[in-house]
Amino acid sequence: MTTSARSSRPRGPIDESTVVLGIETSCDETAASIVMGGNDVLSSVVSTSIEQHVPFGGVVPEIASRAHVELIVPVIQQAITEAGIAEARIDAVAATVGPGLIGALLVGVAAAKSLALVWDVPFVGVNHLEAHLYAGLLEDPGLEFPLVVLLVSGGHTMLVEMRGPGEYRLLGETIDDAAGEAFDKVARFLGLGYPGGPAIDRESRFGDPTAIAFPRAIPDSLDFSFSGVKTSVINHVRKHPDVVTADVAASFQTAVVDSLVAKARRAAREVGAKGLALGGGVAANSLLRDRWVQACAEDGIRAFVPSRAMCTDNAAMIAAAGWHRLGSDGPTSLDAGAHPGLRLTMDR
Amino acid sequence: MITLGIETATQVVSVAVGGDDGVRGLVEITQGRRHAETLVPAIEFVCRHAQIAVTDIGAIGVDIGPGLFTGMRVGIATAKSMAYALQVPVVGVSSLDLLAHPLRHSAKVIATVIDARKGEVFYAFFLATPGGVQRVSEPVACSVDDFNADVMARGQDVLAVGDGAHRYREEFDGGIEVADLAHPSVASLVTLARARALRSDVDDLRIEDVQPMYLRAPDAVINWRTR
Ligand SMILES: [Zn+2]
Repeated sequence: MTTSARSSRPRGPIDESTVVLGIETSCDETAASIVMGGNDVLSSVVSTSIEQHVPFGGVVPEIASRAHVELIVPVIQQAITEAGIAEARIDAVAATVGPGLIGALLVGVAAAKSLALVWDVPFVGVNHLEAHLYAGLLEDPGLEFPLVVLLVSGGHTMLVEMRGPGEYRLLGETIDDAAGEAFDKVARFLGLGYPGGPAIDRESRFGDPTAIAFPRAIPDSLDFSFSGVKTSVINHVRKHPDVVTADVAASFQTAVVDSLVAKARRAAREVGAKGLALGGGVAANSLLRDRWVQACAEDGIRAFVPSRAMCTDNAAMIAAAGWHRLGSDGPTSLDAGAHPGLRLTMDR
Repeated sequence: MITLGIETATQVVSVAVGGDDGVRGLVEITQGRRHAETLVPAIEFVCRHAQIAVTDIGAIGVDIGPGLFTGMRVGIATAKSMAYALQVPVVGVSSLDLLAHPLRHSAKVIATVIDARKGEVFYAFFLATPGGVQRVSEPVACSVDDFNADVMARGQDVLAVGDGAHRYREEFDGGIEVADLAHPSVASLVTLARARALRSDVDDLRIEDVQPMYLRAPDAVINWRTR
């Protein structure tokens, strides 16, 4: 009988054999993953409610939260089954605590804390943005520091210098729309549907990327801006109603990718980075992936382009980040909540 | 059999553990409104001080609403996850049923009325039966006026209970008495869940069958349908 206060102590040292269950519910993906030793992915299950959001042209928080409650246990169960391990082998449970949709985050946090309580293992709260930075290391543990990571998604566009696990510095970020947001808005305007990233990517294959010279707004910093190019697209189409949609999509995509790649290269030069890594949902864009590899080859540094599954939201990156955090900071208190506006804690 | 009750469908967070000898421990936070932060530590606390190991829990009862969506989800996600990890049955009980249960000796029709915000209430009617209460109407979400009309149509004396009854008592028609009880009782939840767990085949109490009772579509869906 347990009558003493729970210490939520790790079962042993945090090492290559430490098994972490990661849980991610910050947006429309309900995900769970088992990762051993911070980089050995034993399973990664991602279930999305995206189909339910399509009619609304964006993720509806209440719909996402409802889906998480339904999916959370089956997804966790599947991750454990696919990993082929006994539940008793799990040493810690990590969950995204922010940033993200509050009602969605709370489902994952509640589940993670409950499992930690029953299994008597530590709970670890993970910053979703930090987890994206670890996604690259997951597939290539040999990556050398310092590293510049471009984190580019529907909610974020930031350049981060990573000097080691847990050590990062924000170099630049968007001053208006996130790149993924710009993709969504332009795709909606062009009638290409939602989500906009894959829609623009697909349509661009049939268009001429040099047809229209959209601006590559380059203020004199490592910050990004995408509202200018979005406005140019709208103005151009209004002025030329007969323009070929595929040409607009391809020219817009090229403008966005050009500015992302140009800033990343400049950042890598400025900090003397040994490599350039990509992360976030927009990192699944074909043109961005091609240009990334090409740019790094020209600059003589390592390019790291994670698999598409590791770019988009998943729980393997949460488990990996949780493993690092557990080692550096120890467990998170069970009275932790969620933080929708959480930022990557770092200097600038 | 040790039963854990989880009630987070209103502003209150309450948890209780009970056994064959009744409720052994109960924690209730009435003003916190931080369901997600409070719930798991409260479960840990109540078990520890009632000298019950978490792993001794044999069944879990949870309030599935209707009520505050986020609070309900925190409670339900916790109940399902714990039931999964403990491999024990989980019983979902509606907050409407929970509110009616303490009034099971009432001679009047019982109306459980929960504040649904936006000028609406969630409600259902119950009648006392030997050993409990029986719901005699479908739970609905609608305006206070609609509730008044529904009561009028029944032509019976009604005893109303719940935070919605308290909030809107001034707007109720005559013939509706309001009982003191405002929030579902977690002690009732433990009693009802335990009884159902003992009565049922374990296979009939599956985690996937425990779903929130929203009674209202997401706002985006409502707006989309009516545009
Ligand atoms: Zn993300």
